[in-house]
Amino acid sequence: MAEMWIHMGPQHPMTHGLWNLRIKVDGETITDAEPELGYLHRSVEKIGERRKYFMNTTLTDRLCYASAMTWTHCYCLTAEELMGVEVPPRAKYIRTVVLELQRIASHLMWLASYLPDLGLITGFLYGMRDREMFLNLLEIPSGGRLLYNYVKIGGVKRDLPPGFDAKAERVMQTLERRLKEYEDLYDNSKIFRMRTDDVGCYSASDAINWGITGPNLRSAGVPFDLRQADSYDAYPELDFTPVTTSAGNGRSDCFSRYRQRIDEMYQSMDLVRQALVKMPEGKVMAGSVPVRARGEAFRRTEDSRGEALMYLIGDGTDRPYRWKIRSPMFTTVSAAPHFLKGYKVADVPAIMGSIDMCIGETDK
Amino acid sequence: MTSLYDWSYWFCEAWLVPLLTPLLYFQEHIMPPFSNPAGDLARWMESDPGLNVLAWTIVVNVALMIGFTNVIIVVYLERKIAARIMDRRGPMLSFHSLKEIANDLAGSIPEYGWKTTTYAGIGILQNVADGIKFFCKEMIVPAKADRLLYTIGPVIFISSSILLLVLVPFSPRVAASSAPLGLLVVMAAFSIAPIGVLTTGWACNNKYTLIGGMRSAAQLMAYEIPLLLSMAGVFLVAGSFSPMDIVAQQQEVWLFGIPMWNIIPQFLGFIVFMVCILAEVERIPFDLPEAEAELVEGWTTEIGGLRLGLTFAAEYIRGFVGAMIATVLFLGGWAGPFLPGEIWFLIKVYGILVFFIILRWTVPRIRTDQILLLGWKRLLPLSLVNLAIAILYVEVF
Repeated sequence: MAEMWIHMGPQHPMTHGLWNLRIKVDGETITDAEPELGYLHRSVEKIGERRKYFMNTTLTDRLCYASAMTWTHCYCLTAEELMGVEVPPRAKYIRTVVLELQRIASHLMWLASYLPDLGLITGFLYGMRDREMFLNLLEIPSGGRLLYNYVKIGGVKRDLPPGFDAKAERVMQTLERRLKEYEDLYDNSKIFRMRTDDVGCYSASDAINWGITGPNLRSAGVPFDLRQADSYDAYPELDFTPVTTSAGNGRSDCFSRYRQRIDEMYQSMDLVRQALVKMPEGKVMAGSVPVRARGEAFRRTEDSRGEALMYLIGDGTDRPYRWKIRSPMFTTVSAAPHFLKGYKVADVPAIMGSIDMCIGETDK
Repeated sequence: MTSLYDWSYWFCEAWLVPLLTPLLYFQEHIMPPFSNPAGDLARWMESDPGLNVLAWTIVVNVALMIGFTNVIIVVYLERKIAARIMDRRGPMLSFHSLKEIANDLAGSIPEYGWKTTTYAGIGILQNVADGIKFFCKEMIVPAKADRLLYTIGPVIFISSSILLLVLVPFSPRVAASSAPLGLLVVMAAFSIAPIGVLTTGWACNNKYTLIGGMRSAAQLMAYEIPLLLSMAGVFLVAGSFSPMDIVAQQQEVWLFGIPMWNIIPQFLGFIVFMVCILAEVERIPFDLPEAEAELVEGWTTEIGGLRLGLTFAAEYIRGFVGAMIATVLFLGGWAGPFLPGEIWFLIKVYGILVFFIILRWTVPRIRTDQILLLGWKRLLPLSLVNLAIAILYVEVF
């Protein structure tokens, strides 16, 4: 068969969101690939320049529909640095708790969308069922289930209600039990291993050069976690080390990326427990939050998908002069042709699913 | 009367044709030059080919009714079992939810109270709703498709699948035909389908359907050989291709009060056969030709309307027939105590189908190169080993 280009997207079951992957195939083997982004561009950064600082949290919620809390938190951290606001300690701990709960929910959503890519639709229902528990948990303080608008500049919107830690503990125990079931169902499944082992490989040095961050980098054995490297909120006071997995020789394949996210869920549950125990009493909002700001600020946080970076310039008015968002998925998708080449057409969903795409933040 | 075909041939010869032909001859008489075709038709009906065609028409219609009834049951089972595995309820549309639907269509606001259980049926009407939906859909032919091939491709697939139903008996009493070559003809009919799939895949002028058709052809070719070799062991032991003889042979040898069905001496062959038949009927983990994650819907992407519905039904028919063949070959067919043979046969067939369904919702899909490697490097040697075991078995007993 001659070589031909196949469009996977913008309307295709493989693309979780609205994007297009063009692959050039020789028979079933991929010889070239070309991601096309921009179908979901909403011009968030430009709109943000016309809105007041505190209004922009609604926009950042909509950056990624699977992980709204972490993006709003990244924006709030940057704005606080720009304005010089000190966050009360209890708010810092509450932020840590909700961020980790959001990370678990996001990873469960990834698990739910990854298994249908491999042909197992049951996995979708299982992942979504478990994510539901964490959405219920996040609904308790914030009132929202998808877009929370909970983290505010200077603290969080509401305090955690009494009894929250007991509810969280019950949910996490359920998840621990179910994660063991999933390990039995997926890790021990010969077909799952055949589809994921040694598929979509890249080395740690390549990943660093391409700008791949987060779980996708740690799955190659690089112990780099911004929660420790550039720590924020209550993370300096918690006891943890970055989890890493590897497919041997500092490489990352689909299975190590799967394993990495499962292990991170265990770690997040551990962090939530620690933060709930150590949580101090006090206010959850800073006393006074300025409306205007001058200068520039830049913060990076560990998003569920990698390194989220925000850069704000204030010119003394109540709106940002310039706002830049660095999305972890934008660079990862740009590197996709490198780790797609040489594999089969059937591996495309397995590889592109394993890096946990989110088009909302990629296209901004 | 050994089969439905024999019965319907007798029925046509003794009743249908003697009752119909006088009318046609009378018609020929009253307007001689114009109504000669009526007389020709009557004479053709009295001849052997005419009787054959009439008899087969009856047989095929009965087989279709039985086949589609079973397809509806299998689809319903699949949905319900899948729902149980997925921790949900599955289809609930039933007779007493029709009132709610009528209210919805009429635009009246339904009363929701704790006593009104809406949509709390067992879901038996879901398949009817699906059928109505398929009937109502427009059949769109893509603008650049090859119209002729696009039309006949699905027809080849569907008709060859329905042909399978005629060839496998439920029991000595309920059999559509009694072809002496029996299961060999079934396998011949099984291997017509790739032609239809490849034709459709090419004719749609779509890259997804093209790759799907290619995959299907490669997969079916790779699995045809181990499949036939694993069946060859059974044929060797029975010394016949006929289902009747194969089932009768399995009742001959008893060991410690257990009948030595072929599954016991030829367990290896049973495993190879089950894997191959899963690949032949294209179900997960071997449903590459319609891998929805990468190929949208595979070779059926561009088919629409009733054609798509019948294609789905044909796939289920193939699964059903695959389970029937496995039962006849390895599980002693319709043999069993107390209950009538047909019931035993259906119990065994549905047991295998439930296994297929549970497997489908528990494992991911395998990859193209892996499926071919599995076929050529694992299953082919294993089926040869099984053949050697069968030869030894024949020598010993």
